[in-house]
Formats: sequence, structure tokens, C-alpha cells
Amino acid sequence: MPATDYQESSSSPSSFGFSILSRRRDQVHSMESTHDATGQETELEAFQRQVAERFQDLAAADSHELLSIPWIRKLLDAFLCCQEEFKIIVMNNKSKLNKPPMDRHISDFFERSVKALDVCNAIRDGIEQIRQWEKQLEIVLCALGNQRSIGEGQFRRAKKALVDLAIAMLDEKDSNTTLAHRNRSFGRHNAQKEQRSFGHFRSLSWSVSRSWSAARQLQAISSNLVAPRGNEIMSTNGLNVAVFTMNYVLLFVMWALVAAIPCQDRGLQTHFYMTRQFLWAVPILSLHERILEEAKKRDRRNSCGLLKEIHDIEKCARHMNELTDSIHFPLTEEKEREVKQRIEEVRRVYDAIKDGLDPLERQVREVFHRIVRSRTDGLDSISRANSHD
Amino acid sequence: MAENGEEKLVAVARHIAKTLGHTDTMAEDILRIFSNFDGRLREKLSDDGVKQTLNSLDRKISGYISADAPIWSNPANFYSFLDSVDQLTAAVREWTPLADDKNISSCLDRAEDLLQRSMFRLEDEFRALMERGAKSLDLTGGRAVHRPDYSDEEDDASVEDDDNFVPVAQPITDYDVVVDALPAGTIGDLHEIARRMVAAGYVNECSHAFNMWRREFLEESLSRLGLQKLGIDEVHRMQWTQLEDEIEKWIKAINVALRILFPSERSLCDRIFLGFSSAADLNFMEVCRGLTIQLLNFADAVAIGSRSPERLFKVLDVYETVRDLMPEFELIFSDQYSLSLRNEAIAIWKRLEEAIRGIFMELENLIRRDPAKSAVPGGGLHPITRYVMNYLRAACRSRLTLEQVFEDSVAPSVDCRDGDDKALSSSSSLGVQMAWIMEVLECNLEAKSKVYREAALCSVFLMNNWRYIVQKVKDDELGTLLGDDWIRKRTAKVRQYHVNYQRSSWSKVLGVLKVDSISNSTSPSGASKSLKEKLKLFNSYFEEICKTQSSWVIFDEQLREELRISVSGTLSPAYRSFIGRLQAVPDIVKHMDRHVRYSVEDVEARISMLFQGNGSGRR
Repeated sequence: MPATDYQESSSSPSSFGFSILSRRRDQVHSMESTHDATGQETELEAFQRQVAERFQDLAAADSHELLSIPWIRKLLDAFLCCQEEFKIIVMNNKSKLNKPPMDRHISDFFERSVKALDVCNAIRDGIEQIRQWEKQLEIVLCALGNQRSIGEGQFRRAKKALVDLAIAMLDEKDSNTTLAHRNRSFGRHNAQKEQRSFGHFRSLSWSVSRSWSAARQLQAISSNLVAPRGNEIMSTNGLNVAVFTMNYVLLFVMWALVAAIPCQDRGLQTHFYMTRQFLWAVPILSLHERILEEAKKRDRRNSCGLLKEIHDIEKCARHMNELTDSIHFPLTEEKEREVKQRIEEVRRVYDAIKDGLDPLERQVREVFHRIVRSRTDGLDSISRANSHD
Repeated sequence: MAENGEEKLVAVARHIAKTLGHTDTMAEDILRIFSNFDGRLREKLSDDGVKQTLNSLDRKISGYISADAPIWSNPANFYSFLDSVDQLTAAVREWTPLADDKNISSCLDRAEDLLQRSMFRLEDEFRALMERGAKSLDLTGGRAVHRPDYSDEEDDASVEDDDNFVPVAQPITDYDVVVDALPAGTIGDLHEIARRMVAAGYVNECSHAFNMWRREFLEESLSRLGLQKLGIDEVHRMQWTQLEDEIEKWIKAINVALRILFPSERSLCDRIFLGFSSAADLNFMEVCRGLTIQLLNFADAVAIGSRSPERLFKVLDVYETVRDLMPEFELIFSDQYSLSLRNEAIAIWKRLEEAIRGIFMELENLIRRDPAKSAVPGGGLHPITRYVMNYLRAACRSRLTLEQVFEDSVAPSVDCRDGDDKALSSSSSLGVQMAWIMEVLECNLEAKSKVYREAALCSVFLMNNWRYIVQKVKDDELGTLLGDDWIRKRTAKVRQYHVNYQRSSWSKVLGVLKVDSISNSTSPSGASKSLKEKLKLFNSYFEEICKTQSSWVIFDEQLREELRISVSGTLSPAYRSFIGRLQAVPDIVKHMDRHVRYSVEDVEARISMLFQGNGSGRR
């Protein structure tokens, strides 16, 4: 995948889209106009502004918040709001949307929406994967989280869970391989005589075919997505800007989800059309850059998802592993304290995931339903407007 | 039971010792007194007793754990091992509150260590049992079933067994079959193990092993039915014929899943995790969740896909399948963890309803978009009329389902039927929908009819198409939906067009033949002249009509005859009497042959050839 291109628009760096609209507004003040003309501009301008504000808010997150579960939920909230506003714009402009050139643009948007549905489904499966990891952490907590002094048996149990967790996360990375054969010899009294094939944590994605690729899907959503030119904006009264904006938001949100959460063939090299024409482009592109930076970091490069909580799992698992490897019995008081510390770390990570995953999944599902709904309603109302000409 | 009593006794004894014994030695003394008093207490209370218990358990359990051969293969060993584990678990539970005592604490450590090793071993035994159980299933060539007629799931195995056997896909007729995916003995053993693991706090490990194994089994079962995983976009872009095949496979698969596979898994969960209902519920949901999502996702993809009218019947199939399986679904997924699955299923059911309504809307659009200019030459039956009527008749075969679908919706905002129509026809939303489509068709036909230059041809066109419509409606469910009054009105329409045709085609000719009181006012020669002119006009008009209308067609035989008869019935007598008048004029009679081109019989003959559609005088 080629690196993202930087294609600056040839127009001036000032918010071109806005200047067009504001120029018209001056004209509008200077002569009599219908309520409709001002109403439509305000609606479209308001949409631009609101999208920009939401993403500015998201971009204000510091490095701890970015790509955490709460941040992702904020992102999805922002998407749902943009979606609702866009839906109203579609309703109010349906007669314009069934004529060229807008009919092409809007049907194109709805096609991209369908592709986004598969991403939502794959993400839901990815969240389920994280739940499986959560269960291994629960075992660790169960084994080592008691107040009582901990014996070798508990450590063995915790170690096994950590090994299983590592295998699961490894399996997720190789999500294209089939059944993983692993020899779980650690923690056994006796060496395994034979290699047992376990139906292990194979990432069973139920919603998409084995050949499905998140990277390809994102590429399809982003293909041919370019900002409308000045004369096109004029001829559609800015309506195609609204469509372009919604397309862009859709693309970015799906891309961010794929970046954060494990799914089949996660690739982040999607082409993002670079534009600074629009107010919202600045925060979105800055988030895009920050997430790419995160992906390049040494300890995140091979991660199966950039979600901060996944990073936390990796960290606390690594610390726990280092600790258990350095354990000698009987435990010194210092070691016991260290164990308690590490366990607290595990508990914090576990709680964050336990509390966060269910609402996150519900929200992803909500995004799915709303995309379907607004597509169906949009297509219906436009085709009805068509027939009542 | 006795054990519980003993435990309580021991606990009380210890408690007394602790409370009364202000120093360790005092407490020990008190315990020794109790021990001397009762032999049971001696064993349980003394440090030596604890150690002895532990050592004996250690010996027994370590022996089993270190064995290579699976423990379950020897039932005596198996139950002895489990028994020891029970004792160990009880001991740990008993000693844990006394962990302050250093001696007990060190024994507790050993005991917990032993317990952990036992659990690990039990986990291995658990997996091995499941593996072995599944293997024995393959040997018997498929699942053990209680009834002989079963699905063609067994075909794969059957073919291997017997080369002469020709696998015939048996329809799944009886869903009462609950399939034993594992032999009963194995299930019992698995339960024994699960019980111990859950009691010792190892429910996660046990569930994990269980879930992994069952999920694989389910996935395999489903792939044997030929069902592939498909994303929404893939379904969206699929060729319709291919999608039809997938739908067939899906219908079979979801029936097998909900009626056979899932109940079987539920039963398995319940038996293996007997006594731990939330573990049973959670594991069942986790096992079946993925497959359910896959199946629901496909239905969703169909609902979200194209609204092309040709898809109606297959979408109806999917909808009816979901609707019919909903009770099963709600029953099977009635536990606390499966709420989201139930909600998903209902959402998809609703979406399928919407899709069906959307298809009818698309049909409307199709009709509206059919270009007016494509009128049929000769005023015959238009393809769109034929398409729509046959489509609606086919659709009405699924009338009950469609009633359901439309009942849940808001009917089209305009109920275009007039008061009488509304009152006498079916008042269902489906009836309204059908009437609306007929209205759309009517508008389209009107527009098409206006393309004809001749008003008469316009009437012929409308006559033909409405005749067809009425015929298709009358003897069908569609007729019941639209109502008798609707039919009556449209039949009257056909008659009206008939009248219009006659008037616009033939009134001119008839007018020419009208001989009023010319003879009275004018001279005989004047009368003769005007009659001759009339005759000339008649000849040319008649010739022209016959030529023009030679390519016109009435497709319905009965209607054709009616038209001919009615034209003949008005023209013939008028012409006959006109000829009669001519014969009164000696001038004309002399050269009758020259003036009169057609005899009455000729006229009737020409009329009887009308509306065949094969033009004798091509334009």
C-alpha cells in the first residue's frame, strides 16, 4: 500500500468552502431573498461548523485519552450526531438529490455506507475477542488476587492464563492462519508426550468471510473520494460539500475503529485525500497523523489493535510474566509487595475493560443500525421525490 | 450430610478454643482436651490430623496426576480421584479461615498447590473426554439419532460407509429430534469434572475448554451444510442467481441450527453444568453466539440489499423463515445473557418487512418510469400490464404473509380508492397497497394511450389493457383484495371505452348514412346528387377505416366478437336502409354497380375481419 498522498488543493489555504458560502450570504443580505435560500445556507454551514467542533473536541484528547475506550465512544457519538444532521439535510433537499449531479454523489455515499457495515460487524467480532482476553485476566486475578499469601500453585495457574492470553493475542495477529497448534507444556508436572491440537483462540470472525480484509474495505470506502471543486460547489449550492463531508467522516471513523480494535487484515495505509479546505479537515487530519504515529511506535507496531486498553493488557501481562519468571519460593516480603502491586495493575486494566466493552459494543451496534436506517430512509425519500415530480 | 455436621462440630470446637485460649499454648491445650474427648475431633483438630489428611490426599491424588493414561478410562480410578478432589476442596475450604495458624498455613499452601495440579489434570481430562467423545461419533457415521428419517447432514458419512447407497437429500420432516452429540456416559463424566472445577473456582478454565470445543463443532456442522460466511457488501454485490442459491442454503441451515443444533447444545450445557445455571446459560450463549450472528447477518444483508421487484419471492422466503422460527429463537435464547441476540433478531425481522414494502415501492417506481412513448402498435396489450398483473397475482399467493407485512406499516398516505371502493373491498393495508399500484398503472396507461394519434386507437388500447386487468383480477385473491366494487367499476370502464371507440370511429360514417328529409326539400336530381356524394363519402370513409384499423388488435376473443357485433349491429342496418334509399332513386339504380362498392354482406365481412391485428392494408 502506498503511503498517503499529500495532494493539496490548488486554491488558497483559507477555508475556500466557507468563503464561497459567506460571499453568497453577503449577496443575500444585499437583495431580497427567499427564506429558503438563507435557510439552506445556514443549514449547510451549521453542519460544517458542528462537524468541525466535534472533531476539534476529539482532537483535544491527550495521549492517554486517545484511542481509549471512552475516547472511541466519544468518536462514535460524534459520528451519530453528524449522521443525524446529515439525514435532515437529505430530507430537506430530496428534490435536488434525485437530479444530476447530486444523484450520483448521494448514491455513491450510500454505497460507501454499505461497505462500512461490514467494518462495524468485524469490529463487533473484535470486541468479542477482547472479551476472551478479559477472561484470562480474570483467572490471573482469581489466582493471585487474594489477600492470603500466594503459593506456587496459584502462580502456576496465573502463568498458564498468561501464556494462554499471549497465545490468543498472537493468534489474533496471525488471523489469516487456520487452526493454531500450540504445545502448552508450561505448568505441567510432566512434559507433554504429544502435541495436542486444541481449538484454541482462533479468531473466528463470524460476520465476514475468511478472505475479507479490513484494509481493502477501507480502501474501497476511500476510493475516488476527492473534495468538490469550486464550480461544482457553486452549482449545487454547497450540497455536494455536505455529502463529501459525511463521506469523509464515515471514512475516518471506520478507519479509527480498525486502527483501534482487532479485525481481519488490519491495514492502516488507506489513502486519505488531503485537504485543508474545510474547517473539520484540520482536526481530522491531525488525529489521523497522531494515530499513524502511534502505530509506528516500537512497542505498538505489532500490536493487534491500538486501543489503549489493549496496550494496557500487553503491559500488565508483560510485567506479570517478568514477575512470575523471577519468583523463587518462599517469597520475600518485597516480592510479595511487588506481586500485590502488579495484581492491582491487572485489576485496573480488567475493570476498565469489563466496564467499557459492553457499552462500546452496544454503540458500535447502534452505529450499524443508524447507517442502515439513514440509508434506507434516504433512498426511499429521494426516490419518492423523484416520482412526484 | 454427616460430613456437614462434623464440619460444624469441628468449627465450633475451634472457635471455642480460640476464644477461650488466650495464648497459643492454651488454645492447643483446649484442642487436645477436645481431641481426647472425641476421636473424630482428634483427627481433625490436631495439627498432626491436618497433616495426616493432607498427606493421604497427596498420596492418592499425586498418583493419579502423574499417570500418563487418562484417568477416566478406568471408572474406579476416575471416581476415586474425583472423591479425593472433593475431600481436598473441602479441606481447603475448611482450613482457609484458620490460615493465621502457621502450621495450618503451610499445610494450606500444600493443599492449594495440590488442588491446582488436580485442576490442571482435570482440565486435560475434560478436553480429552470431549475429543474422544467426538471421535466415537465419526465411527458411527454421524450423530446418534432417535429417529430414522433425518437430514442429509449424514450424507457425507453415509457415502463413505456404503458405495451402493445413493444419498438422497431427505427433507427435515421432524424437528423433535434432539441430537446427542456426545454419548451419554461421556456427558456424565464431563459433568463430574465440571462440578469439581466450578466448586474449586476454576469455572473460567472449564468454560473456556468447553466453549472452544463446541464452537468448532458447530462451525463444522454448518460448513457441512454448505453455508459460507458472507459479508454484507459481498451479498450486496452478488449476482441474483447466486444469491438465490445462498438463500436456499441459509433457510436449511437456520432451520437445522434452531431446531436441532442449538437445542442439542442447550441440553448439553444444562447437563454438563448441572447445578450451575448461570455458567450453563453463559456458556450456551457463548457457544451459539457466533453462529447465530452469522445466520442473522445474512438475513440482514438480504434485507439491506437491492429492492428489485424480482427479488420479492425470495425475500418473502427469508422473511417467512425468520418469522416462523421466532418462537424457537425466543425460547432457545431466553436466558439473561442472550437479550442482545433476541433484539437483533427482532430488528432484522422488522428490516425484512421494510424490505418487502420497499420492493413494492420499487415496483411503483418501475411502472412510473416506463416510458409513455413505448405504446404498442395496433393498440394491443402492453408488456407492462402483463408484467404487473402477473406479478401481483404471484405476490397474492403469499397473501397472508403480505397482510402481516403491510399491517405493520403506515399505509400510503393517500388512500386513493373512493368511498365505495373502500367500504366494500378488503379494508386491509394490503388491499390499499394493491389499489395504489393499480392506480399507478392506470396513470401510466393513460399517459401511454395519449400517444396514439387516433382517439379511437386510444380507446382500443385502454380497452385491451383494462380487459386484461379485469380478467386477471377477477378470479384471483387479488380480486378479493381490491373488492367487487373495484372490479365492477373497471368493467364499466371497458364498456365505456367500447362506446368511445365506436363513437369516435364510426359516428362519421353513420352520420354520412343518415338520410333525413333531403328528398322533401330538394329536387329529385338534387337528392340524387347528394345521395351519390354520400355514397362516395361512405365508400371512402369506410375504406379508410378498414385500412387504418386493419392493424388494430383486440386480444381477447370474446371482446373482439362483441366489438364486431356492436359495430356491425349499428352499421349494417344503417347501410341497409341507406342502400334501400338508393334503390328508390332510378338514376343511381341504373348504375348501381358503379356507385355502390360494398354490398351489405361485404360491409359485414370487412367488419368481421377487424381487430385480428394482421393488416391487410399495411400503412
